[in-house]
Amino acid sequence: MDTATHQSDEDILIQGLKSGNQSAFRKAVRLYTPGMLAVARFYLDHSAAEETVQDCWVTVIDAIQKFEGRSGLKTWLHRIVANRAKNHLRKAKREVSADFSETLDPELADRFAPNGRWATPPSLKINESAQALMENDALSDCLDQHLAALPETQRSALMLYEAHQHKSEDVCNILDVSASNLRVLLHRGRQKIFLMVETFQETGEC
Amino acid sequence: MLMCRDLARIASDYIDGELGPMDRVSVKMHLMMCGHCRTFIGNLRASVDLINAHSSQQVDEEFVRRIDERVTESLNARNSGNGNSD
Repeated sequence: MDTATHQSDEDILIQGLKSGNQSAFRKAVRLYTPGMLAVARFYLDHSAAEETVQDCWVTVIDAIQKFEGRSGLKTWLHRIVANRAKNHLRKAKREVSADFSETLDPELADRFAPNGRWATPPSLKINESAQALMENDALSDCLDQHLAALPETQRSALMLYEAHQHKSEDVCNILDVSASNLRVLLHRGRQKIFLMVETFQETGEC
Repeated sequence: MLMCRDLARIASDYIDGELGPMDRVSVKMHLMMCGHCRTFIGNLRASVDLINAHSSQQVDEEFVRRIDERVTESLNARNSGNGNSD
Protein backbone atom coordinates (compact mmCIF):
# COMPACT_ATOMS: atom_id res chain seq x y z
CA MET A 1 0.00 0.00 0.00
CA ASP A 2 1.20 3.49 -0.81
CA THR A 3 1.47 5.21 2.55
CA ALA A 4 1.76 8.70 1.13
CA THR A 5 -1.44 8.37 -0.87
CA HIS A 6 -3.17 6.70 2.05
CA GLN A 7 -2.16 9.54 4.34
CA SER A 8 -3.44 12.23 2.04
CA ASP A 9 -6.75 10.38 1.58
CA GLU A 10 -7.09 10.35 5.35
CA ASP A 11 -6.21 14.04 5.56
CA ILE A 12 -8.91 14.88 3.02
CA LEU A 13 -11.40 12.81 4.97
CA ILE A 14 -10.47 14.54 8.24
CA GLN A 15 -10.90 17.95 6.62
CA GLY A 16 -14.33 16.87 5.41
CA LEU A 17 -15.31 15.69 8.88
CA LYS A 18 -14.08 18.92 10.46
CA SER A 19 -16.19 20.97 8.11
CA GLY A 20 -19.26 18.81 8.87
CA ASN A 21 -19.49 17.45 5.35
CA GLN A 22 -22.19 14.80 5.14
CA SER A 23 -20.56 12.63 2.52
CA ALA A 24 -17.27 12.64 4.47
CA PHE A 25 -19.23 11.29 7.44
CA ARG A 26 -20.90 8.66 5.26
CA LYS A 27 -17.53 7.52 4.03
CA ALA A 28 -15.96 7.48 7.49
CA VAL A 29 -18.93 5.65 9.03
CA ARG A 30 -18.68 2.93 6.39
CA LEU A 31 -14.93 2.67 6.74
CA TYR A 32 -14.51 2.72 10.49
CA THR A 33 -17.72 1.31 12.00
CA PRO A 34 -16.78 -2.40 11.76
CA GLY A 35 -13.57 -1.81 13.73
CA MET A 36 -15.33 0.41 16.26
CA LEU A 37 -17.92 -2.29 16.79
CA ALA A 38 -15.16 -4.84 17.36
CA VAL A 39 -13.72 -2.59 20.07
CA ALA A 40 -17.11 -2.10 21.74
CA ARG A 41 -17.87 -5.82 21.60
CA PHE A 42 -14.77 -6.52 23.66
CA TYR A 43 -16.51 -4.83 26.57
CA LEU A 44 -20.25 -4.95 25.89
CA ASP A 45 -23.02 -7.18 24.59
CA HIS A 46 -24.24 -6.72 21.05
CA SER A 47 -27.00 -4.15 21.57
CA ALA A 48 -25.05 -2.06 24.09
CA ALA A 49 -22.07 -2.13 21.73
CA GLU A 50 -24.14 -0.91 18.78
CA GLU A 51 -25.63 1.85 20.90
CA THR A 52 -22.17 2.93 22.06
CA VAL A 53 -20.82 3.08 18.51
CA GLN A 54 -23.81 5.14 17.35
CA ASP A 55 -23.37 7.58 20.22
CA CYS A 56 -19.68 7.84 19.43
CA TRP A 57 -20.37 8.97 15.89
CA VAL A 58 -22.60 11.74 17.17
CA THR A 59 -19.85 12.77 19.59
CA VAL A 60 -17.31 12.75 16.77
CA ILE A 61 -19.18 15.56 14.97
CA ASP A 62 -17.88 17.99 17.61
CA ALA A 63 -14.87 16.09 18.92
CA ILE A 64 -13.20 15.95 15.50
CA GLN A 65 -12.42 19.68 15.84
CA LYS A 66 -9.93 18.76 18.54
CA PHE A 67 -8.35 15.95 16.55
CA GLU A 68 -4.71 16.89 16.04
CA GLY A 69 -3.52 13.89 14.12
CA ARG A 70 -1.09 12.61 16.74
CA SER A 71 -2.50 9.15 16.12
CA GLY A 72 -4.27 7.96 12.98
CA LEU A 73 -7.99 8.62 12.66
CA LYS A 74 -8.78 4.93 13.13
CA THR A 75 -6.85 4.67 16.40
CA TRP A 76 -8.42 7.89 17.65
CA LEU A 77 -11.93 6.61 16.91
CA HIS A 78 -11.18 3.26 18.50
CA ARG A 79 -9.96 4.96 21.67
CA ILE A 80 -13.14 7.03 21.92
CA VAL A 81 -15.23 3.87 21.61
CA ALA A 82 -13.08 2.02 24.16
CA ASN A 83 -13.42 4.84 26.70
CA ARG A 84 -17.17 5.04 26.30
CA ALA A 85 -17.54 1.27 26.47
CA LYS A 86 -15.40 1.15 29.63
CA ASN A 87 -17.55 3.84 31.24
CA HIS A 88 -20.65 1.91 30.33
CA LEU A 89 -19.17 -1.20 31.89
CA ARG A 90 -18.15 0.68 35.04
CA LYS A 91 -21.66 2.06 35.47
CA ALA A 92 -23.06 -1.44 35.12
CA LYS A 93 -20.43 -2.56 37.68
CA ARG A 94 -19.23 -5.30 35.39
CA GLU A 95 -15.83 -6.45 34.28
CA VAL A 96 -14.44 -8.11 31.19
CA SER A 97 -13.68 -11.71 31.94
CA ALA A 98 -11.16 -13.62 29.92
CA ASP A 99 -9.00 -16.64 30.49
CA PHE A 100 -5.35 -15.84 29.86
CA SER A 101 -3.94 -18.85 31.68
CA GLU A 102 -3.58 -21.39 28.88
CA THR A 103 -2.22 -20.64 25.43
CA LEU A 104 -3.22 -23.98 23.88
CA ASP A 105 -6.81 -24.61 22.91
CA PRO A 106 -8.00 -27.71 24.88
CA GLU A 107 -9.05 -29.48 21.69
CA LEU A 108 -5.62 -28.97 20.18
CA ALA A 109 -3.86 -29.83 23.44
CA ASP A 110 -5.55 -33.26 23.34
CA ARG A 111 -3.84 -34.02 20.08
CA PHE A 112 -0.39 -34.33 21.62
CA ALA A 113 1.08 -37.47 23.18
CA PRO A 114 2.47 -37.28 26.73
CA ASN A 115 5.98 -36.98 25.27
CA GLY A 116 4.96 -33.72 23.55
CA ARG A 117 4.86 -35.06 19.99
CA TRP A 118 1.79 -35.02 17.78
CA ALA A 119 -0.57 -37.95 18.46
CA THR A 120 -3.09 -36.65 15.92
CA PRO A 121 -1.14 -34.41 13.57
CA PRO A 122 -2.77 -32.01 11.10
CA SER A 123 -3.82 -34.27 8.27
CA LEU A 124 -4.27 -31.98 5.32
CA LYS A 125 -2.18 -29.16 4.07
CA ILE A 126 -4.08 -26.02 3.05
CA ASN A 127 -2.76 -25.08 -0.35
CA GLU A 128 -5.35 -22.63 -1.61
CA SER A 129 -5.03 -18.91 -1.03
CA ALA A 130 -7.39 -17.21 1.40
CA GLN A 131 -9.15 -15.50 -1.51
CA ALA A 132 -9.74 -18.86 -3.23
CA LEU A 133 -11.00 -20.39 0.02
CA MET A 134 -13.39 -17.50 0.57
CA GLU A 135 -15.05 -18.21 -2.77
CA ASN A 136 -16.47 -21.32 -1.15
CA ASP A 137 -19.72 -19.97 0.31
CA ALA A 138 -20.15 -22.89 2.70
CA LEU A 139 -16.68 -22.29 4.15
CA SER A 140 -17.30 -18.56 4.38
CA ASP A 141 -20.59 -19.19 6.26
CA CYS A 142 -18.85 -21.64 8.53
CA LEU A 143 -16.17 -19.08 9.29
CA ASP A 144 -18.91 -16.57 10.13
CA GLN A 145 -20.44 -18.97 12.60
CA HIS A 146 -17.15 -19.80 14.24
CA LEU A 147 -16.04 -16.19 14.53
CA ALA A 148 -19.41 -15.37 16.06
CA ALA A 149 -19.01 -18.23 18.53
CA LEU A 150 -15.58 -17.08 19.77
CA PRO A 151 -15.40 -15.47 23.20
CA GLU A 152 -15.83 -11.70 22.66
CA THR A 153 -12.38 -10.93 23.93
CA GLN A 154 -10.71 -13.28 21.44
CA ARG A 155 -12.84 -12.05 18.58
CA SER A 156 -12.20 -8.37 19.26
CA ALA A 157 -8.47 -8.98 19.56
CA LEU A 158 -8.47 -10.86 16.25
CA MET A 159 -10.54 -8.23 14.48
CA LEU A 160 -8.40 -5.32 15.62
CA TYR A 161 -5.09 -7.03 15.05
CA GLU A 162 -5.84 -8.91 11.84
CA ALA A 163 -8.72 -7.29 10.04
CA HIS A 164 -8.09 -3.70 11.09
CA GLN A 165 -4.32 -4.00 11.07
CA HIS A 166 -3.61 -2.31 14.37
CA LYS A 167 -0.17 -2.64 15.90
CA SER A 168 -0.03 -4.78 19.06
CA GLU A 169 0.72 -1.71 21.12
CA ASP A 170 -2.44 0.04 19.91
CA VAL A 171 -4.61 -3.03 20.50
CA CYS A 172 -3.25 -3.32 24.06
CA ASN A 173 -4.07 0.33 24.68
CA ILE A 174 -7.53 0.18 23.20
CA LEU A 175 -8.52 -3.07 24.88
CA ASP A 176 -6.63 -2.46 28.11
CA VAL A 177 -4.76 -5.76 28.05
CA SER A 178 -1.08 -6.53 28.55
CA ALA A 179 1.05 -7.53 25.57
CA SER A 180 1.31 -11.11 26.80
CA ASN A 181 -2.44 -11.40 27.36
CA LEU A 182 -3.06 -10.07 23.87
CA ARG A 183 -0.79 -12.82 22.53
CA VAL A 184 -2.92 -15.41 24.36
CA LEU A 185 -6.18 -13.99 22.98
CA LEU A 186 -4.86 -13.94 19.43
CA HIS A 187 -3.42 -17.43 19.59
CA ARG A 188 -6.53 -18.94 21.16
CA GLY A 189 -8.81 -17.36 18.58
CA ARG A 190 -6.58 -18.43 15.70
CA GLN A 191 -6.46 -22.02 16.92
CA LYS A 192 -10.25 -22.19 16.92
CA ILE A 193 -10.34 -21.03 13.32
CA PHE A 194 -7.51 -23.43 12.42
CA LEU A 195 -9.54 -26.33 13.89
CA MET A 196 -12.64 -25.21 12.04
CA VAL A 197 -10.85 -25.00 8.68
CA GLU A 198 -9.30 -28.41 9.27
CA THR A 199 -12.66 -30.04 10.02
CA PHE A 200 -14.18 -28.33 7.01
CA GLN A 201 -11.39 -29.50 4.70
CA GLU A 202 -11.66 -33.07 5.97
CA THR A 203 -15.41 -33.51 6.10
CA GLY A 204 -16.86 -30.69 3.99
CA GLU A 205 -19.01 -29.89 7.00
CA CYS A 206 -19.02 -27.06 9.43
CA MET B 1 14.65 -29.47 23.21
CA LEU B 2 11.54 -27.94 21.69
CA MET B 3 8.72 -30.47 21.30
CA CYS B 4 5.74 -30.24 18.94
CA ARG B 5 3.43 -29.17 21.78
CA ASP B 6 5.83 -26.37 22.79
CA LEU B 7 5.91 -25.19 19.21
CA ALA B 8 2.10 -25.22 19.01
CA ARG B 9 2.01 -22.97 22.08
CA ILE B 10 4.22 -20.29 20.52
CA ALA B 11 3.18 -20.73 16.88
CA SER B 12 1.37 -17.37 16.65
CA ASP B 13 4.34 -15.57 18.13
CA TYR B 14 6.53 -17.19 15.49
CA ILE B 15 4.15 -16.22 12.67
CA ASP B 16 3.96 -12.62 13.89
CA GLY B 17 7.72 -12.31 14.40
CA GLU B 18 7.27 -11.80 18.15
CA LEU B 19 9.75 -14.46 19.29
CA GLY B 20 13.18 -13.69 20.65
CA PRO B 21 16.17 -14.78 18.53
CA MET B 22 16.87 -17.97 20.53
CA ASP B 23 13.27 -19.23 20.40
CA ARG B 24 13.12 -18.34 16.74
CA VAL B 25 16.15 -20.48 15.98
CA SER B 26 14.69 -23.37 18.03
CA VAL B 27 11.44 -23.20 16.07
CA LYS B 28 13.29 -23.10 12.75
CA MET B 29 15.43 -26.11 13.71
CA HIS B 30 12.33 -28.02 14.78
CA LEU B 31 10.52 -27.14 11.56
CA MET B 32 13.42 -28.45 9.49
CA MET B 33 12.96 -31.86 11.08
CA CYS B 34 9.21 -32.04 11.61
CA GLY B 35 6.77 -32.22 8.70
CA HIS B 36 3.72 -32.23 10.98
CA CYS B 37 4.71 -28.95 12.55
CA ARG B 38 5.47 -27.46 9.11
CA THR B 39 1.92 -28.35 8.09
CA PHE B 40 0.58 -26.96 11.37
CA ILE B 41 2.36 -23.62 10.97
CA GLY B 42 1.33 -23.42 7.30
CA ASN B 43 -2.31 -24.13 8.12
CA LEU B 44 -2.33 -21.73 11.05
CA ARG B 45 -0.93 -19.05 8.76
CA ALA B 46 -3.61 -19.86 6.18
CA SER B 47 -6.23 -19.50 8.92
CA VAL B 48 -4.89 -16.06 9.81
CA ASP B 49 -5.06 -15.03 6.13
CA LEU B 50 -8.60 -16.34 6.00
CA ILE B 51 -9.63 -14.27 9.02
CA ASN B 52 -8.15 -11.20 7.34
CA ALA B 53 -9.81 -11.83 3.99
CA HIS B 54 -13.13 -12.56 5.62
CA SER B 55 -13.44 -9.90 8.26
CA SER B 56 -12.37 -6.98 6.13
CA GLN B 57 -15.43 -7.44 3.89
CA GLN B 58 -17.97 -7.36 6.68
CA VAL B 59 -20.16 -4.31 6.97
CA ASP B 60 -23.63 -4.50 8.47
CA GLU B 61 -25.52 -2.31 5.97
CA GLU B 62 -28.56 -1.83 8.18
CA PHE B 63 -26.46 -0.68 11.12
CA VAL B 64 -24.41 1.67 8.95
CA ARG B 65 -27.62 3.16 7.56
CA ARG B 66 -28.94 3.82 11.07
CA ILE B 67 -25.72 5.59 12.00
CA ASP B 68 -25.85 7.66 8.80
CA GLU B 69 -29.35 8.77 9.73
CA ARG B 70 -28.38 9.82 13.24
CA VAL B 71 -25.27 11.61 12.07
CA THR B 72 -27.21 13.43 9.34
CA GLU B 73 -29.87 14.43 11.88
CA SER B 74 -27.23 15.80 14.25
CA LEU B 75 -25.39 17.61 11.46
CA ASN B 76 -28.64 19.24 10.31
CA ALA B 77 -29.58 20.21 13.84
CA ARG B 78 -26.14 21.69 14.32
CA ASN B 79 -26.24 23.61 11.04
CA SER B 80 -29.69 25.02 11.61
CA GLY B 81 -28.56 26.04 15.06
CA ASN B 82 -31.75 25.23 16.92
CA GLY B 83 -32.17 21.52 16.39
CA ASN B 84 -35.15 21.96 14.07
CA SER B 85 -34.89 18.81 11.97
CA ASP B 86 -38.36 18.51 10.47
